[in-house]
Amino acid sequence: MPSDEQLVARCLAGDQEAWNDLVRSYSRYVFAICSQGYRLQGADAEDAFQDVFVRVYGRLGSLRNPEALRPWIAQLTRRVCLDRIAAGKREEPSDVEPDGIESTIEQLDEAFAVREALEELPEECQEVLDRFFCRDESYRTIGEELGIPSGTIASRISRCLARLRRRLEP
Amino acid sequence: MSNQHDATRGAGYAAGRTAAAGARLVADVARASQDSWPDATGVVAQANALSDRLEVLAEADADVFAAALVALATPSAELERHMQRAAALPLEIAEAAADVAALALVVAERCDGLVRADAAGAAALAAGASAAAAHLVRANLTVKPDDPRLVNALRAADDARYSASRALDAGV
Repeated sequence: MPSDEQLVARCLAGDQEAWNDLVRSYSRYVFAICSQGYRLQGADAEDAFQDVFVRVYGRLGSLRNPEALRPWIAQLTRRVCLDRIAAGKREEPSDVEPDGIESTIEQLDEAFAVREALEELPEECQEVLDRFFCRDESYRTIGEELGIPSGTIASRISRCLARLRRRLEP
Repeated sequence: MSNQHDATRGAGYAAGRTAAAGARLVADVARASQDSWPDATGVVAQANALSDRLEVLAEADADVFAAALVALATPSAELERHMQRAAALPLEIAEAAADVAALALVVAERCDGLVRADAAGAAALAAGASAAAAHLVRANLTVKPDDPRLVNALRAADDARYSASRALDAGV
């Protein structure tokens, strides 16, 4: 998986596949800010989503620090959401943010950092953590599905969590 | 009024809450053993996840059980649907409780000796909860003896009993 710095460089060099990767990497993040942070629903959320990536496409060259791609996209998304809310109320664009927006975005940043770190783990770790923590599967089901003795699943999950933790440590 | 409400929560709710309490105990024991056991942090995360899962299942079971009681009192075409749902949640509780017992066994075998009895106690609580939940699946009017839901629930209860037995023997 390329770093944000590499992704930005490839996008700016005109690599279409890099643009696809960028949208793929950040689409859930942008949509989560629109829907969870600003409560945009349906067509409003979809329009905001499109606006954000149009702006990213048009302004990526102005990003000074490519490593700060995520906070930059978050900032663009927030601006787009505020504009869309104001447009819905037929008001001038406003800088008044909804209550709790900072903590929502902080939680989303944390969730996405965990997701990125998870994607860097070996496939077997991703699988076992996803099945236990996201799909609520029992040890027995996980063991049967993956062909692993169910008595070893808890220890395996612990080892995978330790690897995940190491990835997340600065 | 509140007594009536509590009465309609039933054994599935109690089993879920009991297993959730067992999971929290497992987390506490693992946390107390972190200095001597590197994997303890991962066990704490799993125990917390199981506790959260069981609390949600317990509340859902109480709602479904109350609806099933109403449906039984006034039979209609909806009765079977209510009873099917009333069997599904105890099965999930039985399986999640079996996982708590399995995790408690891991902890009992690896934790600090001072808190080992608590890990074994958590396994016993979870095994009791799993057995109670499996019994609710068996008692459901829509479940026949060869029903896969019953087979899975009884298997979970057996697994839990085995884990608890080993946990209670650990370090004795």
